[in-house]
Amino acid sequence: MVSNAGSPTLHMKAEMAVALTGITKRFGAFVANDGIDLAVRRGEIHAIIGENGAGKTTLMNILFGLLQPDEGSIRLNGEETVVTDPAVAIKAGLGMVHQHFKLVPSLSVADNVFLGMEICRHGLIDHAAQIARTRELSKRFGLQVDPTERVGLLSVGIEQRIEILKVLVRGARTIILDEPTAVLTPQESRELFQTLRSFVAEGMTVIFISHHLEEVMEVSDTVTVLRNGKRVATRPTAELSKDELVRMMVGREVSFDRRPRAPSQGDVVLEVKDLWARDDRRLPALRNVSFTVRSGEVVGIAGVAGNGQTELAEVLSGLRPASHGAARLKGRDLATLFPRDIREAGLAHVPGDRMVRGVDRNASIAANMLMGRQHRAPWSSSGVLNWTAISQNASRLIKDFDIRAQGPGDAVKRLSGGNIQKVVLAREFTNGADFLLIDQPTRGVDIGAQEAIHDEIMRQRAAGRAILLISVQLDELAALADRILVMFNGRIMGEVAGDGADEDRIGMMMAGVAAPERAAEPA
Amino acid sequence: MIRDRLREVSGQVIAVAVALILGAIIILLVGESPVRVLMTLLRGAFGDQEKIAGTLLQTTPILICGIAACIGLRGGMFNVGIEGQLFLGGFAAAWVGFAMPLPPGIHMLAALALAVVAGAAWVAIPAYFRARYNTNEVVSTILSNYVAVLLTSYFTIFLFKRPGGWSETPPILPTAYLPELFSFSRLNWGLVIGLVLALGAALIFRYTSWGYGVTMVGSAPKFAEYGGVNVKRQGFVVLLLSGAVGGLAGGIETLGVHHRFMEGFAPGFGFDGLIAALLANGSPVATIFTALFFGALRSGSLLLEVDTSASREIITVIQALIILSVSAQVLVRRRGDSQAGERRWKF
Repeated sequence: MVSNAGSPTLHMKAEMAVALTGITKRFGAFVANDGIDLAVRRGEIHAIIGENGAGKTTLMNILFGLLQPDEGSIRLNGEETVVTDPAVAIKAGLGMVHQHFKLVPSLSVADNVFLGMEICRHGLIDHAAQIARTRELSKRFGLQVDPTERVGLLSVGIEQRIEILKVLVRGARTIILDEPTAVLTPQESRELFQTLRSFVAEGMTVIFISHHLEEVMEVSDTVTVLRNGKRVATRPTAELSKDELVRMMVGREVSFDRRPRAPSQGDVVLEVKDLWARDDRRLPALRNVSFTVRSGEVVGIAGVAGNGQTELAEVLSGLRPASHGAARLKGRDLATLFPRDIREAGLAHVPGDRMVRGVDRNASIAANMLMGRQHRAPWSSSGVLNWTAISQNASRLIKDFDIRAQGPGDAVKRLSGGNIQKVVLAREFTNGADFLLIDQPTRGVDIGAQEAIHDEIMRQRAAGRAILLISVQLDELAALADRILVMFNGRIMGEVAGDGADEDRIGMMMAGVAAPERAAEPA
Repeated sequence: MIRDRLREVSGQVIAVAVALILGAIIILLVGESPVRVLMTLLRGAFGDQEKIAGTLLQTTPILICGIAACIGLRGGMFNVGIEGQLFLGGFAAAWVGFAMPLPPGIHMLAALALAVVAGAAWVAIPAYFRARYNTNEVVSTILSNYVAVLLTSYFTIFLFKRPGGWSETPPILPTAYLPELFSFSRLNWGLVIGLVLALGAALIFRYTSWGYGVTMVGSAPKFAEYGGVNVKRQGFVVLLLSGAVGGLAGGIETLGVHHRFMEGFAPGFGFDGLIAALLANGSPVATIFTALFFGALRSGSLLLEVDTSASREIITVIQALIILSVSAQVLVRRRGDSQAGERRWKF
């Protein structure tokens, strides 16, 4: 385990803006926060870093009173406080800028800033005063906005500034920002960091949630790392290196399985060449990605979540267009094919976002297992479904894949996460595809089901399938992959053999430090 | 499965019951006895065979419009423009009926076919904008209603007005009539067409590959997209089909009941159909019963002003209450699914 150099001690409590002790929050069987301690000194920028689902946002929502903890206590400015709702937090000088903005597009910037606490004169809103006050704050903290403009006409970057102004106007001395840079361009991010520094210069405190290492290293004074709902460490940023941070984020308990692996001599099934793609914000998410996957091999994609893996999976399954370059499945250019044709050409896809993409939660297991094959015999003939065959097949798959359900008519939403994932795997692994695109196969799945899923992937490999395995869990990749490609910021930083997986080298590449001697491509 | 179904049905029943109780309170407030109003409604709707036929006559357009709505809802499309499609379909059928002499039977089929085409063409505009630019089909189909109603009025008054007093087209030729079922009522084969459509739609959604894809587009669009269903195209197709059935409803009204097109020719059937479909949770078969319910309210209300001091507008109030309580019920159910609203924040 990593040491906890910055853990809270009693004599320091007076200078603590925020102190959380033993915070635990459960959602059903899922523990989102597990006994988390957090101490934020007054006047520092404190980054909270962790992968998606590590529990960062839950913790902040608890601090801000949007959620109630099951266990633990909260001290604000040294005083024990029960934060029953955001009003209590705001009164104690807390302010939160959420990931999704809550602004009224038809109102002006100043009107939005003062919404709910308008400056009034003779019972009417004093627009001039609101505009003047907004202008003053915006100048003081370098938050460039025109107070008179309509919000609907502005970019997200400016919307965020308005959200920050809202928080300032309400008297916040401790400002929580939830993944503030997720919606910003690099230039806007730099400006935001300037603003955060000016807050600290005035004696305010900033809590900054992120899963991007670079910006945490750049802007924060202290870092707290969360992983799987637990606090891993709290340390001064200056003492940390990037790859140390990565290792704490993705976990150290990597049990490398040194199964010897012979290089596959099979045919090339998937060939990706010079692939570029944009994300939803129209920013480059894939940069010049090239690799091949042969039949009978598992190629792993490692990387901290959010470095282009999702976009890669979407391009390969036809759900996102490539902006440049090509991907070929058995020689056929994917850019010319619809998602349905790509499936017909031999793609099976286990999506990373299984609840949204992988299943219809309200439909039965049988109906879920039909997806993608509803036009094929024996499931249908001349467009008419054969529900007897569909249902029998579902019953067989339930047995073969050991899905804990009453029968094929069971609604998927009644199953546990692991069993839902098995429904997806059972469907995708049995549709006769040559190429399996598997994204986060064991995320949120219990240990027993994990092993079963890993065994199934290895069976598919033995059957000669070409497998691309995207995972944020290094141990999973080391156990299954023949070769591991490491992604950072949309690029492939390098390649490591699965049986020689060297944790430190992978960690370096995940942090964006290239390993020049075996880099797959020039940057 | 069965438990879910039961929960759904009981929810709708409770919603209707709440609406009826509130309606009863309002009837009390206007100084009439709810029991008497109810008995009058029942007598007006089912009192004798002519009254039953009258109820079924009112039910027919509501049922067909309801199926149109069901088709849209299945594919996740809210076609609120059925009223307009009904008007255009009604006019198109009338035009074939009075302007284009054809042999019996063929004449009727040609008129219905043009009604179908007119309904589909009318919804094609919002459907295209939905597929191409992702405009909200609720807004665009609602707005298209006004244009449709006024456009058909314009046709009727300025282009095809029957010489003489009323704002109506010349009568259609008897060769285009939709045959009546009984001698004592204008109830016609439209009802049979509606029932066949309801069963057909249910079977298609349940037992065809296409219907499966469309159902998935409606209930889990990202999943359908992932599984290779062309979500945009199916949304377009579903709206077109919905509009086609809406147009057919108008054609049947023209050929079976009015035998001409006139201003204000089928007030509110499109909206009643939509409500019937919502109350039936988008199930075409259940829509048969909800449409019958609304048809009975309409035809029962005819007797209301004769026999009681309540205005027939009271049934509009009850319908509005049903809409309110059904939508409240849907909201409550969604909230239950989302763990007391906590899903609004990600974790």
